[in-house]
Amino acid sequence: MSASVTGVVFDIRELTIHDGPGLRTTVFLKGCPLRCAWCHNPEGWSYEPQVLRGPNGDRVAGHSYRADELASILNRQAPLLADGGVSFSGGEPLRQAMFLEAVLERLEGLHVVLGTTGFAPAEDFLRVVRRCDLVLFDLKLMDPEAHRRWTGVDNRLILDNLERLADSGLAYRIRTPLVPGVTDTDANLRAIARHVRELPGRPRVELLPYNQAAGGKYAACGLEWRPDYDETVPCRTDLTPFQELQVDARVL
Amino acid sequence: MSAILEQRQSALSELSPRLAEMKRRIRAGEHHRFRITDSVDILAECELEGLDWTQRSARLTRRLCEAQTVVIEPDERIAFTRTVKRIPALYRPEQFGELLAGRTFHELGPINNICADWGMVLGQGLLARRAAAQTARTRLAGDREAEIFLDAAVETIDAVLELAGRYAAVARAAGRDDLAEALQRAPAYPAASFHQALQALRLCHAVLWLSGHYHCGLGRLDQYLWPYLEADLAEGRLVLAEAQELLEEFFISLNKDSDLYPGIQQGDNGQSLMLGGVRRDGRNGVNPLTAMALEAGRKVALIDPKINLRLTRDTDLALLANGVQLTRIGLGFPQWCNDEAVIPGLVAAGYDLEDARDYTVAACWEFIVPGKGMEVVNIGAVSMPAAADRAIRAGLQAGEGFDRILQRAGADLAEQVRALADTSRKLLLPPAPWYSVLMDGCLERGRDLSHGLKYNNFGIHGAGSANAADALAAVRALVYNQRRIEPARLIQALDADFQGEEALRSELREDAPKVGNNDDGADELLVYLFDRFADACVAAGDNGRGGRYRPGTGSAMYYVWLARGHEGMSEPTVGATADGRRKGVFFSSSLAPSPDVQVRGPLSVLQSFGKLDYRRICNGGPLTMELADSLFRGTEAVDKVALFIRAFARSGCQQMQLNTLNVDTLRDAQQHPERHRNLVVRVWGWSGYFCELDETYQNQIIGRHIYGD
Repeated sequence: MSASVTGVVFDIRELTIHDGPGLRTTVFLKGCPLRCAWCHNPEGWSYEPQVLRGPNGDRVAGHSYRADELASILNRQAPLLADGGVSFSGGEPLRQAMFLEAVLERLEGLHVVLGTTGFAPAEDFLRVVRRCDLVLFDLKLMDPEAHRRWTGVDNRLILDNLERLADSGLAYRIRTPLVPGVTDTDANLRAIARHVRELPGRPRVELLPYNQAAGGKYAACGLEWRPDYDETVPCRTDLTPFQELQVDARVL
Repeated sequence: MSAILEQRQSALSELSPRLAEMKRRIRAGEHHRFRITDSVDILAECELEGLDWTQRSARLTRRLCEAQTVVIEPDERIAFTRTVKRIPALYRPEQFGELLAGRTFHELGPINNICADWGMVLGQGLLARRAAAQTARTRLAGDREAEIFLDAAVETIDAVLELAGRYAAVARAAGRDDLAEALQRAPAYPAASFHQALQALRLCHAVLWLSGHYHCGLGRLDQYLWPYLEADLAEGRLVLAEAQELLEEFFISLNKDSDLYPGIQQGDNGQSLMLGGVRRDGRNGVNPLTAMALEAGRKVALIDPKINLRLTRDTDLALLANGVQLTRIGLGFPQWCNDEAVIPGLVAAGYDLEDARDYTVAACWEFIVPGKGMEVVNIGAVSMPAAADRAIRAGLQAGEGFDRILQRAGADLAEQVRALADTSRKLLLPPAPWYSVLMDGCLERGRDLSHGLKYNNFGIHGAGSANAADALAAVRALVYNQRRIEPARLIQALDADFQGEEALRSELREDAPKVGNNDDGADELLVYLFDRFADACVAAGDNGRGGRYRPGTGSAMYYVWLARGHEGMSEPTVGATADGRRKGVFFSSSLAPSPDVQVRGPLSVLQSFGKLDYRRICNGGPLTMELADSLFRGTEAVDKVALFIRAFARSGCQQMQLNTLNVDTLRDAQQHPERHRNLVVRVWGWSGYFCELDETYQNQIIGRHIYGD
């Protein structure tokens, strides 16, 4: 893959907490085919750089990097990331699969985590995950209709990719955001638990409690934050549906 | 990680009701009612008896110990409440001119910012110290100076024993036999238990303050107290929970008198202690008290004592996580010290390896050796921004190349060091008989510590370093390499404080490399400035006391003073600077990216500052970072931050303050101070109550870089 292929990144954050094991730096790639109602990174939707208009002035979200340039920034941190590594998140990082693959090819001795919605062409999905040490795979809603309603896309492609991932033998974990009244329902969590129980490798499920600051960046993106669920209700963090099926699950 | 989980379990517990009540009383100032309004006057008797300075110092200690009324609250197990408010003068104001004879005091005058050999004092007991003084007096008979000093030292010992005796008598009369026995035994004899050691330490330390000393350090607390606790546990005299509570009570007691201490702001009082690290023989010194003291600091949650923790890249993650639990609550403790960077630096500066391994910090961050150093760690600061600014202006006006500007900056630093060195050679250290009792070898040699100890170095802060490097980097990138900015225009813009040159200012701020992004374009200039500063300190030679000048990376209050000017300060102030900083805007505190500069994150900051050669810069001065308290929302955060601390050790950086902040809370505290009376923040080498700080300091804290939000 060419060193000069470019991609758009909307943030590089150091010392991220929930993006994989150990001390990590996370790269947020811009562009996402999903529109999850609870998304807290709306600047990750569009692939194009955009101006965020915040209370403290304007800021451009989205900076174009060459693959070798981004790889070099990350490689330079390797001495400090021996207890962890780098993570790629978004947006949906697979939206820039070519670029991502070119970056991964150039990383030296860094543990790589991919956080993905799983919504990507199978070919893109496989060639990127093969270069990762751990995949954090989102499973939001098992009901296809509910998935369409709350994320804007069907979950068939996602479930197929999850199967491919499971069959590949790569290390992976399931990530489920707990959105009050949407994903944290007993029915949904039980359905996820049932699905995960059948997956090869029996991955761990990590539940992410609802982020009360989810709507924080909408105004800056010129968007209105109008969640279609009651975000003042605390999300349920009940592990029972998983424990009953002996699925390893924990709340982050 | 299961060890970490266990530690966390124990960290969930809170202060006992007894201590919670004690803390409440102290914060409410209820013990102030015991304070005596009459002031003690010792001048008349000193003049009548014709006492010299040393004798007057001892008389001061004695009379103030005598004037102390005994206060033992029914729920106290560690007694001592200072009741004498004012420290009287040793001489009339007009006599000081004659005493000084052209020399100057450091700060307020009395010896400060050093650390006693508490292990020796607790281990020997004051009667053994008294016997040492008397033995020396016999041996040195005829040496008038020794006789005067040793008699003075004995006078202070007797005064402290008299005070302890009165406390013991009152305790006995009140039916407090436990306390009476502790006070009768220690500090006169070697402490025979953990409780006695804490009681003796409280009393001897408080008498330092009572004698006019300030910034009185507590040293390596877990090292010198552990033998007492270990013996108590082995003999079944004490259980861990009770020991923990005693330690917490001791910590609370250190906050009783802090409003009577001198300092730049309340809280700047240098009651610092060190935990962890290696022993003198190089073996790991971490013991159960290390974690207990971290836990005590977290539970007590007051501005004293200021807690420091030593580590290496191999330090147990469970211990680091324990420290992070303390970081999390926002006091700005512990300050982290990297043995791998500190010890080689001290050795390179001439310290014996065993002593270097035994380091602690003075009031804020300056590395010193307990009992062996009569060092003045803060004789002043070099203004790196002033050096850079003068070099840039002179070089641009003369049409010189950038290398010449760098040379000018180096020469300017050398000149600043030379000026500080010249002034410092005039320093006069006054006698300190009681402090001398607590140091190594003073009694044995018959010489007061003001004559010098094993280490007698002076320290100089290197302030405003990131702004200075950024200014040089901007000039190199935009004036020289890219030729985007005309020299004359830059100088005019600086003179005009960027009035009408907002676009130029924006270029300087946005389009040039900055320290904190692991970008050599700026970092190598930071390294250059500190190298030249270190060269200048070497060139300055002997400090007149058999010591040298130690360069440091701290700023203390100079990040404010050098930007705005300060009455009586000899260091240069500077206006607008070429990094795009407007006149009067504060510099960054100690080591940190320049204020308002966009940096990638805390790892890049570690990498930028890890490039400094700390073997040449051993006076200390922390890399200062703020974490958003929201970072700690999840269960994983403590372990992640512990790994970050390990990365700090790996980065080669020397010292780090990690503060946890919530900007909204700080803003609310400015509006409604009554709601946030107990809100503690780290200011520079110390922590204070946010609402008691001047607004300028409050605003600087709010404006710092905050990671993880």
